[in-house]
Amino acid sequence: MKFPLIFPIVALLPWGAFAEEGRPYVNDLKAPESRKDLEAIQKALGLALPKARAATVCIEIKEGSGSGVIVSADGLVLTAAHVAVGVKKKVTVILEDGTRLKAETLGLVADKDAAMVRILEPGTYPFVEIDRAETTRLGDWVFALGHSGGFDKERGSVVRLGRLVRIASATFQSDCMLIGGDSGGPLFNLAGKLVGIHSRVGQQLQVNMHVPMTEYVSNWDGLMKGEFIGEGPFAQKPAKGNGFLGLATEPRQGGGLRVMKVGSKSPAEEAGIKEGDIILKMNGVALENREQMQGLLKEMAAGDGLTLETERDGKAKTLTLELGER
Amino acid sequence: MNANRILTIISAGLLLPATAQQSLESAYRTTGTAVVAAFETQRQVLQTSSAVILDGRKEIAYGVVISADGYILTKASEVAGITGLAVTVDQTTYREVKVLIVDPTWDVALLKVEASGLVPVVYAPTSAVPQGTWVVANGATTRTGRRLLAGIVSAKIREIPATGGAALGVILNAKSKLLEIDAVNEKSGAKEAGLQKGDVILSLDGKKVTKIEEIGAILKDRKAGSTIKLIYRRKTDEVTVDVRLAARGEMFTDQMNRNDQMSGDFSPHRSGFPRVMQHDILGSRTVEGGPLLDLDGRCLGMNIARANRAESFAIPVEDLKELAARLMKQAGK
Repeated sequence: MKFPLIFPIVALLPWGAFAEEGRPYVNDLKAPESRKDLEAIQKALGLALPKARAATVCIEIKEGSGSGVIVSADGLVLTAAHVAVGVKKKVTVILEDGTRLKAETLGLVADKDAAMVRILEPGTYPFVEIDRAETTRLGDWVFALGHSGGFDKERGSVVRLGRLVRIASATFQSDCMLIGGDSGGPLFNLAGKLVGIHSRVGQQLQVNMHVPMTEYVSNWDGLMKGEFIGEGPFAQKPAKGNGFLGLATEPRQGGGLRVMKVGSKSPAEEAGIKEGDIILKMNGVALENREQMQGLLKEMAAGDGLTLETERDGKAKTLTLELGER
Repeated sequence: MNANRILTIISAGLLLPATAQQSLESAYRTTGTAVVAAFETQRQVLQTSSAVILDGRKEIAYGVVISADGYILTKASEVAGITGLAVTVDQTTYREVKVLIVDPTWDVALLKVEASGLVPVVYAPTSAVPQGTWVVANGATTRTGRRLLAGIVSAKIREIPATGGAALGVILNAKSKLLEIDAVNEKSGAKEAGLQKGDVILSLDGKKVTKIEEIGAILKDRKAGSTIKLIYRRKTDEVTVDVRLAARGEMFTDQMNRNDQMSGDFSPHRSGFPRVMQHDILGSRTVEGGPLLDLDGRCLGMNIARANRAESFAIPVEDLKELAARLMKQAGK
C-alpha cells in the first residue's frame, strides 16, 4: 500500500526559546560542536533509554506485527491505525522480556494513523509519559524504538537516533531510519517523553514519518471509547454484511435454531459447533427463526467477535468466535 | 545545464517559503555536514587507519589497517574476483594488493600492500558498550580525504543465524532416484568445491545419504561458514571434498521480503555471523569493511553488513582481534 508522503505544511508547534525541564541544551544548538555536546546527547539518551525500552511493545495481529508503547500503568498502549487495523479486535502485546499478553484494540483515527490498544490482563505495566506540553521543536534530537521486522528476543527492540527534520500538519519527520515492524512504535525526545508514533517511510532513507502526540491527545476520549474516527487511508471501516459464519440452521420447536450443517473449515466449525447443536442466543439475543439470525449477521463484518449460547445433549455451552470473510 | 539550473530554481522557489521554518536544512540533519563536523577527531582516525578498497577507481569496500607494514582486513565478498584491486590509505594509493586469505564465516579477507609506517587501529577494550553510545564509520570518500557517518549502538550483541539455514547450494534432480545434482549455485560452497551437474552425492560428514531428507537432517544444526566433508561420484570416480555451507536465503535470493524492498540496498551477505554489534549508521552496502570507532577513536569492531535500512552489523572487537590474529598466523606472518 502506498501512502501519500506530501502534506500541506502548517505551523503546528509553538516556537519559543524557553528552557523546559529535562530539555538538554544541545537541542538549542544548531549542531553539536564539541565532544562535550556529543556526550550530552549520549548521556541523555542513555538515561532515557531503559524506561523507554521497557514500555515499548510488539503488537501481533493476524496480518503481521507492528510496535506500540505503553502509556499507563494499567496497560493502555498507543500504536498506529494501520497496525490496529480495526476497533475491538483481539491482538497480542509482547513485552521486551517476551511476555505475551492478551489485548484488544480500542479506537483509531483512520486519516491520521493513530490508534489505542488496551492490555486485557490485569497488571502494573512499565509506561512512559506523553509530551503533552508539545515541547519538541524542529531540530530537536529524538530517538525511535521499535520491533523492526518483528519481535526478536535476542536482539530486543532497535533504537535509532536522529533529529526532528520536518514538522507538518499531523506529521513529524525524523531522520531515525524506520522499517516494517516499527509501525506504531514510539518516538521520544531526549527527556524520554513520548512525542510521536511511527507511521510510514518514503523511498528515500531520510523520509521517516511519525504521528505527533497532539493527534492522540485531541482524540483521547474517542480512542478510549473504541470509536472509529475519520475515513481512511490508514484503516478501512469494516463492510457490514461480509461476515461469514458457515452454518445452515432450521427453527426448533420451543425456541432456538438447530444446526443442520457446518461448513468445512468455517469459523463455526473451528469454534467446535457440530450438526445437531442448538443455538439459543447470538450476542445475547434469543433466536426464534433464521431470518433473525441473518439480520444480526448482516449488521456485522468480517473479523467481528460473536458470542453464541448453544446446547448439546441438554448441556449448555457458550462459544466465542470471530467471523470470517465471505 | 541551463535547463537543469532553471528547474532547480523553480523547485526551490516553490519549496522555500512554506518550509523555511519547519524543515531542517540538510547540513543540520544527522548525516549533515554541520553535525558530522563535530566528529573531526574520529575522522582523523579514519583518515589514517581505515582503507579504501578500489576496483580501478571505483570504491568497492573499506578496510581496517591492522599493522604498520600493510596488513588490512576487508569484507571478503566485496573483493572476491576483482582483478584491478587497489587500496588507498590516507593519501597514498597502493596498486599491488595481495588477497592473502579469506575467512568465510565472518566474510573477511586479509589483504597485504607494500607499505611501512601505517597507523593501525587501536582496539577498544570491549564491545560491551551501552546502547545509545556514539559510533563512527566511513562515509563517502574523496581521493585524498575520508568522510564519516555517525550513529549509535542500537541493539544487543548476538548471533545472526543464516537466513533459511545452512545449505550446500545445490539443486537436486527430482526425477533421479539418486542424489544427483541438477544445478550448482554460483555463490555456493558446492561451486567452490568443484561440484557439477550430474555428480551424485554419496555421503555427508561420513554418513551415507540416499534421500534428500537425510541431507536436511545432517545440515539442520550446522552453521553457515562451517565446512562439511562430502563424497560424490562422477562417472566412476568417488571424490571427497570439503564444502563450505552458506545461508540458503542468500544463495537463492528470489524471495525479497517487503522490508528488503523498502531498504533500497542491502549487503548480499548479511546473515550467518557468529556474533554482531548492531548500529544505525547506514552506509551504502558497498562500503562495508571499515572500522567502527568510538568517541575516543578506538576500534569497537568492523562493519560487515548493512542488513536493511534500519540495521547495520559489525564484528565485535573481541572477535575481530581474534580473527585478525588467526588470519595473520594462517598467512604465515
